[in-house]
Amino acid sequence: MSDALPIDLVDVDVDDALAEAHHGLTRAGFIVAGGAAIAGLGALAPTTGAAVPASDREVLNYALVLEYLQAAFYTESERSKALKGKTAEAAKVVGAVERAHVKAFRELLGKKAVGRPHFDFQGVTEKEGSFLKTAVAFEDLAVAAYKGQARRIRSKSVLTSALGIHTVEARHAAWMRYLNGDQPAVSAFDLPQSRKEIDKIVASTKFISRRPRSTSRSKPRYTG
Amino acid sequence: MERQQTPVHDPDKASGVTRERALTTAALAAGGALVTVTAIGAADRSNAAPSAERDKRVLNLLLRVEYTEAAFYAAALKDAGLTGELEDYARVVLAHEQEHVGFLKGALGDAADPEPDYDFAAVTADEDAFADAAAKLEDIAVGAYNGQAANVTKSAFLAAARIVSVEARHAAWIRSIRDADPAPDAVDSPFDEQRVRRGLRELGVQS
Repeated sequence: MSDALPIDLVDVDVDDALAEAHHGLTRAGFIVAGGAAIAGLGALAPTTGAAVPASDREVLNYALVLEYLQAAFYTESERSKALKGKTAEAAKVVGAVERAHVKAFRELLGKKAVGRPHFDFQGVTEKEGSFLKTAVAFEDLAVAAYKGQARRIRSKSVLTSALGIHTVEARHAAWMRYLNGDQPAVSAFDLPQSRKEIDKIVASTKFISRRPRSTSRSKPRYTG
Repeated sequence: MERQQTPVHDPDKASGVTRERALTTAALAAGGALVTVTAIGAADRSNAAPSAERDKRVLNLLLRVEYTEAAFYAAALKDAGLTGELEDYARVVLAHEQEHVGFLKGALGDAADPEPDYDFAAVTADEDAFADAAAKLEDIAVGAYNGQAANVTKSAFLAAARIVSVEARHAAWIRSIRDADPAPDAVDSPFDEQRVRRGLRELGVQS
């Protein structure tokens, strides 16, 4: 069933991430501030991949794949209508943030951004229990992955941004753990995981059903 | 829409997020994340290269945060009348913060600063005061580590990276208990040293 449920996020991600994230913040109480900030965004110069060292681009593309995975997972979960109450609300807010991360990485990487894989979440988005269990695993994995890659980043500005995202993933991990009835912080120290370890775990889920053919497209193609 | 069901996040009460910060972080969330953070980071960081001497200063700032956290949770468990989830939270987090203090003191050795004095009367007056202060303090910890990461040598960085995400978990945990938004921003912004010290003073650090 590898291609049974390919979800295509083009329609929800590329342009809507902005508005979605804004909604998330609006609901969090930042109505005035959020509106002002969005209005100010147009003044920011577009970024280009050229400003980022090649080795950092490689790390960013790796992080981008994990962000694609998370964004798709939350988006599909939201669409499945299986979630209720606080869990549904959390999926909505976290999904918007993961899509904002995708958008930010893609903008930073420009044409060097890796394309979006196709996903098959094997049905875990269709029940609240399996959604939460998977969300906890994903978020803990993201924390360990960012931590494992951080020391490889050369650019100070990229590093500061990556660390700021790293702690947001940790907040998400704690949030999902709380909703799942798990202790949000089980140890005084969070350990990093290597890319090899992370890849192995991701592969074992079979959630990535197909890698993109091209890495040079700024927008992935529609697949129907 | 389901907006009305969302727990209301009062920035002044629940998280200590100022309007100024909300402006910045909203911009980050709105897709300008990497660009905007770059600008903030550049303004806050000095140009000095990482060095053993610099590590000492940075690690002592982080130690100050950890001292404050450990002392705050210990005081709250004694004075704030914590029950249920809040009490469980405070016990677990106190143990984590004590480990962090021990770790940083060990890393600094003789160079470790002495523990500051505190007045936690206001922030341990009751459960509400405790929960608000805990959320603010954990955010300060996250911002402090994130703000200093690029200033330290690799070994100090690797150690700090293992702590900062635990602080972020605490920050989300206390907000979850209080029904506030555990992760209101798409990117956590770095705090410079002044902001860290000011934040700690506001919560009762005296010296």
